Amino acid sequence: MARMKFLCDAERCIECNGCVTACKNEHEVPWGVNRRRVVVLDDGVPGEKSISVACMHCTDAPCAAVCPVDCFYTTPDGIVLHNKDLCIGCGYCFYACPFGAPQYPQASAFGVRGKMDKCTFCAGGPEPDNSIEEYKKYGRNRIAEGKLPLCAEMCATKALVAGDGDVVADIYRKRVLKRGGRPQTWGWEVAYKG
Amino acid sequence: MNTMMNRRDARKNHRCVKLMIALVMMTGALLAGCYESSKVVLHKPGVYKGPTDPLVAKQASPEQQQQLLARFNQVQTDR
Repeated sequence: MARMKFLCDAERCIECNGCVTACKNEHEVPWGVNRRRVVVLDDGVPGEKSISVACMHCTDAPCAAVCPVDCFYTTPDGIVLHNKDLCIGCGYCFYACPFGAPQYPQASAFGVRGKMDKCTFCAGGPEPDNSIEEYKKYGRNRIAEGKLPLCAEMCATKALVAGDGDVVADIYRKRVLKRGGRPQTWGWEVAYKG
Repeated sequence: MNTMMNRRDARKNHRCVKLMIALVMMTGALLAGCYESSKVVLHKPGVYKGPTDPLVAKQASPEQQQQLLARFNQVQTDR
């Protein structure tokens, strides 16, 4: 079984924001919510780097661990999704997420939070696949259609890659080797030494 | 004279006992209003409570996996 992952190659990202636009357009994300955004490191300094960030669909998702109503679930493919009918908009997941993925639309006056919204890896929610309810709440379900996230498919420089983690890692490894990098300084053997 | 005194004391004692019983009953009634319910809603952390996503069943099929892999090779590989 594949484990779906995003990977953004900082060497390739040119901060075009095509991924952000593709996501907003595909899912009709409400004003004020960005499921994906491009972060620039050392902006204006020679050697600046850009990376596209969204929900990273963590294997042990901290958002799911802190949710008081347990509205999160993980698909067999490793995609972390949530149920907006159960969500109470408490904001715990927002504080737990290291990537700032969970966001809240301003539902009404006095700063009242609406239901949490985040990247779904274009996999919708618990409603029937590609139903109107699912589209209204979570956006399009491209995974059910046999397609992959549009942000990655639209990326002009192929900086953003989304798919089976093993295949994605293989592509990145080849790129690093081609650039003359040092592949021995990263990987499973380094991350899980001993 | 002594019998009169004894009767008065007995009445007094009887009143005291009645008062004590009333006090105990009132205290009991007050405490009964402050008890904590032993019925607690227990949430198991990390157990999803909502309906099952139909996509979960779909993802188990090898055809879906093959379709996604083919899509990846078609759209996202280096060129």
